[in-house]
Amino acid sequence: MFEPDEELIGRVVRQLRRPVTVDAGLDARVMEQIARWPARRTGGLRATWRWIIRPRTIRLSPLGALAIAAVFVAVVLWRPDRPSSPASARAFGFVVVAPRAATVSLVGDFNDWDAARTPMQRTRKDESVWTAVIPLTPGRYRYAFLVDGVAWLADPAAPAARDDEFGAPSSVVTVGGS
Amino acid sequence: MILLVGATLVALQAPAQGIDPRLERLDSITRPIVTALVDSARGAALPTEPLVQRALEGATKRAPADRIVAAVRRLAIDLGHARDALGPTASPTELGAAAAALRAGAHPATLTELRRIRRESLTVPLAVLTDLVGSGVPVDSAAAAVLSLAAKTRDADLVEFRRAVERDIALGAPPASATAAAAAVTAEATAVQVNAGARQQRPGRP
Repeated sequence: MFEPDEELIGRVVRQLRRPVTVDAGLDARVMEQIARWPARRTGGLRATWRWIIRPRTIRLSPLGALAIAAVFVAVVLWRPDRPSSPASARAFGFVVVAPRAATVSLVGDFNDWDAARTPMQRTRKDESVWTAVIPLTPGRYRYAFLVDGVAWLADPAAPAARDDEFGAPSSVVTVGGS
Repeated sequence: MILLVGATLVALQAPAQGIDPRLERLDSITRPIVTALVDSARGAALPTEPLVQRALEGATKRAPADRIVAAVRRLAIDLGHARDALGPTASPTELGAAAAALRAGAHPATLTELRRIRRESLTVPLAVLTDLVGSGVPVDSAAAAVLSLAAKTRDADLVEFRRAVERDIALGAPPASATAAAAAVTAEATAVQVNAGARQQRPGRP
């Protein structure tokens, strides 16, 4: 059996109660040593990989499931064949001479054949020359100029659209990717 | 999971049931027929945007309903033939260009051969083929020239080739001769570019 030694206990207690003075630069030195340690990159990657492959049970509220379903529907409904303006678009300039026109619009596959979408501007040097610049992604587009909202003009500087089934001329522009 | 499956089914059904708001510009007679044609094309995995644009072109040009419907229907059929010729991996823009080429008189075998020999997009070669025929070049001459250039020629050079042919025709050259001459020049220029590229990639010597 162990017999308690009052004197020894008293010394330990006194020692424990003695105030300890910590060097003011201790924190800085410790942090400096930590900073010198090499970063454990592979350990981080492994931990990330383990976290990714670890099977887990996911609980979802009905609201959360609906939100995920909504995102899924949005992805499915996205139509890749519809022209957009991705980074591959290039600016294309269109020019037509229409001396007596009050307004000229550029209308085609690139603007849903909407005459209000791309009004052409007169050039400052020659008021009979109308121009418009629009971004086009690679593809083949039919277009025409609409003068004063009534008269259709094909682009004399571009190939004519062969399958012109509506009794008004159109042109085609082809935008390449290479 | 059930929700996801349900959402997928809803999403797949939605395009068939919903009407493209742009088609509201069509009159009440044309709209349902064009919508049905567009839905049918979508069901056949054909691009629908060219059909919508063709209908909108007709509407903006104030074409009668029967013309619009006929044009959209004809284009849908051409897109189907284009897909048959180019295969299921053809992009929407390729299919649109191929449909125009077929409408211009190109043989489906020409399209299939183009697919075989060219790694890059076929949109520009097909457009050049169509435009050459539109300029009066016999379809066989145009097809032969495009096939001879398609494997190694960049899009920009193909467009320049077409411009050269049109320029020579405007100056009075017979279309077939102009095409053959311009094709030879373009092929030669392409070979020079390829060789120049090879020289640039060669490591330098001390």
